Amino acid sequence: MNIERDETGGFVFSEVEPPLAEMFRAIPSAADPELSKAAFDRLFPDPFTGKDAQLSEEWADYVQPELREGFENASTTVEADLEPLNAGGDGWSIPPEHVDAWLNTLNQARLVLAARYEVTEEDMNRMAPSGPPGYRVAARGR
Amino acid sequence: MSETQTKTETKVALDIPWNVVVHNDPVNLMSYVTMVFRRVFGFSKEKAEQHMMEVHQKGRSVVWSGGRERAELYVQQLHGYLLLATLERSV
Repeated sequence: MNIERDETGGFVFSEVEPPLAEMFRAIPSAADPELSKAAFDRLFPDPFTGKDAQLSEEWADYVQPELREGFENASTTVEADLEPLNAGGDGWSIPPEHVDAWLNTLNQARLVLAARYEVTEEDMNRMAPSGPPGYRVAARGR
Repeated sequence: MSETQTKTETKVALDIPWNVVVHNDPVNLMSYVTMVFRRVFGFSKEKAEQHMMEVHQKGRSVVWSGGRERAELYVQQLHGYLLLATLERSV
């Protein structure tokens, strides 16, 4: 897989190996908070922690839908960027204005997975970042 | 309860400052948490890192205190960035 910056500051992914392409394609669906109650509770926590039923209810009625819309918009943006992969290609681009949507969706997916599989701080520390092997990252045009 | 008493209690409840508390979670990266603090509260890099370290080491950090309405807006933004944030009355 190659990752390059283009002249607009966006990211261009090319020559993505099929197993990796499969993983990238799975990102939007992995970010679905409906996959488990634990995942839903993590993405939509009650800021009043059940100490004030009325405020919690108001939060769920008025704020949660806005948050949900934001998460869904980010995930939809990522899905659209990945369309060339879904169409059988071996690459795709992330324009600079979509970087926040990617950051949000990747984080949603990480949190959903961690909640579903009860990942702890200890687990995360064991998975020390060693960096992906053999990927070529090049800066171009900036 | 008389109307005057209700009004007084409501006013007192509104006057009590609320704390915006960010809690540690095993997933969000330290650099990400720092970035979010800077974006949401306009903190300097140093102040954002200080709060991030407090979250990481002590499990929680009070990042803002004040009126409930504004505190709720901050928590909504923090939840939008997927940080684990709650609201607590500061007394």
